Amino acid sequence: MSRILRSRELLVFFLLVVLMLAVGLINPNFWQARSLMHILNSSLILLLVSIGEMFVILTRGIDVSVGAILGLSAVILGVALNAGVALPLAVLLALLVSVLAGMVNAVGITFLRVPPIIMTLGTLGVYRGLMLIITGGSWIETIPANIKFFANWHILGVRFFIWLTLVIVLLTTLALRKYKKARYFYAVGDNEEGARLMDIPVKKTLFAAYTLAGLFAGIAAVIFVAQIGFVPMQAGNGQELRAIAADVLGGVNLAGGVGSPLSAVVGAIFLTAVDSALVFLKVPGYWNNAVGGAILLAAVFLDYRVRRAVATQQRQARAAVRKESNHQENTHAPEKEQA
Amino acid sequence: MATASTHPLVELKNIWKVFAGVPVLKGIDLNLMPGEIHALLGGNGSGKSTTMKILSGVYTPERGNIMLNGKSVIFRSPHDAHRNGIYMVPQEPHIFPHLSVEENLLLGLEMDPFAARNEILQLADEIGFESKLSQEAGTLSIANQQLLEIIRGLLRKAQILILDEPTSALTFREVENLFNRMRTLSQRGIGIFFISHRLNEVLEISHRISILREGNIVLDAYTSEVDSEMLVRAMLPQDAELQQTQKHRRTTDSEASGEVVLAVTGLNSDTFQDVSFELRAGEVVGLAGLVGAGRTEVAEAIVGLDPNARGEVFIKGHAMKKHDPRESQARGLVYVPEDRHAHGIFLELPSLYTMTATILEKLGKYLLSFKQEAQIGTRYQQQLSIKMTSLRQLAGTLSGGNQQKVVLSKALASHPEVILLDEPTRGVDASARQDVYQLIQKLAKQGVGILLISSELEEIVDLSDRILVMYQGRIITEMSRSDATLQHVMAAAFGLQGEPSL
Repeated sequence: MSRILRSRELLVFFLLVVLMLAVGLINPNFWQARSLMHILNSSLILLLVSIGEMFVILTRGIDVSVGAILGLSAVILGVALNAGVALPLAVLLALLVSVLAGMVNAVGITFLRVPPIIMTLGTLGVYRGLMLIITGGSWIETIPANIKFFANWHILGVRFFIWLTLVIVLLTTLALRKYKKARYFYAVGDNEEGARLMDIPVKKTLFAAYTLAGLFAGIAAVIFVAQIGFVPMQAGNGQELRAIAADVLGGVNLAGGVGSPLSAVVGAIFLTAVDSALVFLKVPGYWNNAVGGAILLAAVFLDYRVRRAVATQQRQARAAVRKESNHQENTHAPEKEQA
Repeated sequence: MATASTHPLVELKNIWKVFAGVPVLKGIDLNLMPGEIHALLGGNGSGKSTTMKILSGVYTPERGNIMLNGKSVIFRSPHDAHRNGIYMVPQEPHIFPHLSVEENLLLGLEMDPFAARNEILQLADEIGFESKLSQEAGTLSIANQQLLEIIRGLLRKAQILILDEPTSALTFREVENLFNRMRTLSQRGIGIFFISHRLNEVLEISHRISILREGNIVLDAYTSEVDSEMLVRAMLPQDAELQQTQKHRRTTDSEASGEVVLAVTGLNSDTFQDVSFELRAGEVVGLAGLVGAGRTEVAEAIVGLDPNARGEVFIKGHAMKKHDPRESQARGLVYVPEDRHAHGIFLELPSLYTMTATILEKLGKYLLSFKQEAQIGTRYQQQLSIKMTSLRQLAGTLSGGNQQKVVLSKALASHPEVILLDEPTRGVDASARQDVYQLIQKLAKQGVGILLISSELEEIVDLSDRILVMYQGRIITEMSRSDATLQHVMAAAFGLQGEPSL
């Protein structure tokens, strides 16, 4: 879509390759296909949540409730399965709840005009509270094996959920590029006033963004339940911040209008790879957050400096052109008056 | 004109618009013929933009009709106007900076993308838009962003284009290009309303000129029938409107001979060039010019708010070192900004907090002395007769005039020797306005040097000892009090160098 954007995704991809090479040199086991697949597999939940969050950030909004929506959907799925609801129906129910949760955010933000950060902070509390109310605070265990089967189902040697996520990423990318109304997400975030003047339905677009954020958190919840096999009350805790970090790392602009599903993919895999690399480097697990955060800051700072340098150059070039032209104008004007 | 049709494309009939009880349009009658380039002129606040915003659906009028193809229409939104073939290109083009040119053009367009693409290419070719369709719109020059907006309008089958000061951000060559495009469009029968402050451009490009003053159309004539003198005269306030302000005219023609308190030499930035002048103690120098001429930008550069400014500023003979507002104030120069809500006042805090904001370190040794603070507040409340229930009344709840006085108190509290006043009476009621005028004169008498920036010519002419006029980023004229008449200042502000014989 834009060269700057692509270069940002490339930058992160390049960093990812460097990271993997470096870790692989220290611990060759890291380079085994098995561990690379493992990284991919463990990044799926974050990746999906990040794509949902991307829609919101594209419109210049923020949603900090997606982690809680993930947790709530997981609880619904777990409770439904334990109550003997058929698997497809239970999954559908979990997705429905996630969509509804996203819609509640959307209603508050578009119709009641609550600022996104406040609305979603509020529902973050509400949804987490609902998890506890539904379960009475105890973990949901003894989940039937039928859902866990999908987590270990390999197709052509690759896990089913990796295929599924790949399909979702491709569909989302295709839709954002080819479906005409999908461009509204970019337009609203890039220049909301301009969008309104073009008669783009700003409210509907925002509504769709928050609803999609909910839906993607719901899909992530299904994978979560299948992979983990039980639902702890911390499910999805802090996932919203990691998703925002992944998006920003991959090049989604918090000021709106810039980003793609590829940004979310690259960012999410990178953050997961860092976690995993630390394991291979035998760094204790409690370093993960600090290292991940530091890398995010470094990448964003580097990117900011590059962009600013480019912008300054452009501005100076324009000023130079104007000065030259003003000079011409001043030398031309008298001639004109004489004529 | 290309078409022989005698029916206007659009006709505004007796349009009235009232803002906050004040009528800003008082029965506007205006029409546009096919293929006509119709220029709208008028001073700041004369109602040109409001009229065009009504025509383009941004505002709805209180009274009056818009006749389109013989039918009376009302536009509820810009989209409504688009559907009826009216497209406005705003001064700052509304583009989506991160989307490509093509995406910008296709957004919101109900059209098959393939057909649209062909039409875009055709239009781009026709009006000479040379950028690639895949280029990111934010990287286009302002001139090309405007062309993009024009193509956007043409894709919507616009028959009427409104160009709001399109040339103010363009270079000389870009203006020539734009004018050629406008001529092409005119030959296709498209009508264009063209707002500009540059008389020579208006005379060059337009077929017809209408002048607004105080919400009325005061002149509507073919360009071939007028010259720049007639235009300037029509824009000036009439004798009846003048009389009320004359009483402020200073009677003593004191030749200011104090020391030079502010000297500016060769100040340059992106928006202005080669600004040099001196200001003496006890002198009021008026800085006149149209909105966008660069007056505020010069003031901001003097006080040290423009990191790109080059050139030298001396306060009482001292060259500025760091050149930031803090150093300026320490040396005795303060700036009272134009937009007080954005830059001058703490609206949600007690008024006193604004008044003492710049001198807090002088109030008490280590901790803030409430007593000293209140003394200062009371002193200025009395001196400037600020109407407030107490010093703790929230500044946001004061009237505009009293807010301005609070801002002035803040400036005076540091005992400056140079004050830059930017539009000090904007949004200020009549009686507070008199107080501000008296204050300016009193300060000058006390030996303070004052640079007065104002769009109200009467104010400038009445209060100033000397007047500098800016036009397109340069000081083009300097006149003494005895030479300064409204006509001279107005003519200079519109870029007419010679002395119009009025």
